[in-house]
Amino acid sequence: MTIQLFIFMLVNGLSHGMLLFIIASGLTLVFGVLRVINFAHGSLYMIGAFLAYSLSTLLTTGTLQSFLLSLLLVPPAVALVGFVLEVLLFRRVYREEHLLQLLLTYALVLILDDVVRVIWGGDPRNVARPEIFAGSVDLFGMALPTYNVFVLLVGPVIALGMWLLLYRTRSGNLIRAAVWYPETLGALGVNVSWVMTSTFMLGCWLAGVGGVLMASLANIDLGIGMEKIIESFAVVVIGGLGSIGGALLGSLIIGVGITVLQLPFGRWALVFPYAVMALVLILRPWGLFGKPER
Amino acid sequence: MVNNRNEYSSTKRNWIAGIIVTAGLFLLPFILTNFGKTGEYWIWVTTEMIIMGLFAMSLNLILGFGGMVSFGHAAFFGVGAYTVALLMKKAGVSLFFALAAAPVVAGLAAAVIGWFCVRLIGLYFAILTLAFSQLLYMIVFQWYTFTGGDDGIHGIPRPEFLGPLNYYLLCLVLFIICFLIMRMLVNSSFGLTIRTIRENLERAKFIGLNVRRFQWLNFIIAGSFAGLAGGLLTELNRFSQTEFLHWSKSAEPILGSLVGGMYSLLGPAIGSAVLIFMKIFLQQLHKGLVEIWAIILGLVLLVVVLFAPGGLVGIYEKAFKKS
Repeated sequence: MTIQLFIFMLVNGLSHGMLLFIIASGLTLVFGVLRVINFAHGSLYMIGAFLAYSLSTLLTTGTLQSFLLSLLLVPPAVALVGFVLEVLLFRRVYREEHLLQLLLTYALVLILDDVVRVIWGGDPRNVARPEIFAGSVDLFGMALPTYNVFVLLVGPVIALGMWLLLYRTRSGNLIRAAVWYPETLGALGVNVSWVMTSTFMLGCWLAGVGGVLMASLANIDLGIGMEKIIESFAVVVIGGLGSIGGALLGSLIIGVGITVLQLPFGRWALVFPYAVMALVLILRPWGLFGKPER
Repeated sequence: MVNNRNEYSSTKRNWIAGIIVTAGLFLLPFILTNFGKTGEYWIWVTTEMIIMGLFAMSLNLILGFGGMVSFGHAAFFGVGAYTVALLMKKAGVSLFFALAAAPVVAGLAAAVIGWFCVRLIGLYFAILTLAFSQLLYMIVFQWYTFTGGDDGIHGIPRPEFLGPLNYYLLCLVLFIICFLIMRMLVNSSFGLTIRTIRENLERAKFIGLNVRRFQWLNFIIAGSFAGLAGGLLTELNRFSQTEFLHWSKSAEPILGSLVGGMYSLLGPAIGSAVLIFMKIFLQQLHKGLVEIWAIILGLVLLVVVLFAPGGLVGIYEKAFKKS
């Protein structure tokens, strides 16, 4: 293996890791505030990807305008789906046993995945990359796909945006307060259930962004939701549930791990996230950045 | 919410009902054989119901009685299935030996996986079981030379004397034996301990129970029964495939338990049978309905979770006893 090939795989792995981060950070954000792990998060991401596909068939594919338009329209649409789910279903089980919450989101996976199958069918699809990202960039004599580099750069932008939102705005203060002291927050006159709904929508918006980016990165089919939700679990387990910084680290470990290990191990590399997740859960169940259960 | 969780003892009426239903189940295939092709089809369907009922009951030992949500129970179902398939196809072992080996091998797998999983509770337990089962799925999927990968293992031999009718009877007898064993377990001090742990883990620790060991044992027992169910289904279909280990296979016993009622022993089996029947009924009603089967299942699950966490058995008990 040459060093160039290694760098090539590393960049590819980082861009997959960044995509994973965008999705997993939504999952972990929602968990932090709502204390519900949303199994259907992967399905929402998949809906985003397929919506991006449908939108691209309506517009001229492969142009920057259609790409930006779907980046602008699809995530809010997914957030809207999230709004409906939160208000109609999630809200009713916050005070129930964990078991029922888990089963509720599981039921949503069954429903949403099948809705996607009924609407879009099982064929793999993809969205043409906008022409300025279609080429490749030269790095140390290696031709890297521009789009992958673009995705790699979007990740840190999202991470920075989330940090600014959570730590530099009033909304962020409310969200962080709702994580630890929802009752006190309510007593201060804040509408906590609205904070929860908007956090959930933000999480779904992130899943939508992930979906749009994925639609042009690789083929999308009915399996991508389950694949990403399990990878996202691995990410949040590694980083610690509820920790955004941990999600960033976990995503990079998983993304780079899968891609780089493909060189020596081929498809066996797909076992990697499961193995890491099992290992972390056994050695340090609260994750690298998380705190032990209260 | 559920106020009859602690009533597992059978009343006299339940005994009589049980004997009538059992007799009916033994008679059923003899009636069905008179209906030619349709009859044979229904014998096959009822055999599948019995097997999936056993699978659901095995899961419910940890789900309903232990209060641990496992999203990876298909792992042990699949291990049992592949044990029977590999032993019979590649080693030429007889069916009865293979069926005896299935729960043992599945139990061993459950011992290894469970040893790690019971260290965690709640959500983390659920995720780790899912991770392990998907890991196993990937291994079976990738290890083409041993497991046949995506193609599965086909053409598993069937002993001469085991026609559809006799196979039905074999499954029914095994089901009843397993039911009696589980009933004994649930009503024993072991079962009480498991339920104590479900109700209050902290208190169970305080009174000196080795919580992990009890959960681990329960996990192994549940895995063994699941392995037997997997083995039986393999012989019924005469093939084994990766689908048996897939996460969606883990969903089936969960759904059965939820619909039937996870706070009772037989509820999950009833729930599974109802779901299988519902699927076939919908298929007869309109072909398009099966297309959206998962949506219907999901909606059923939503309704159960939101409005009737006790399932069908819970509704039955509410209707007959005003407790």
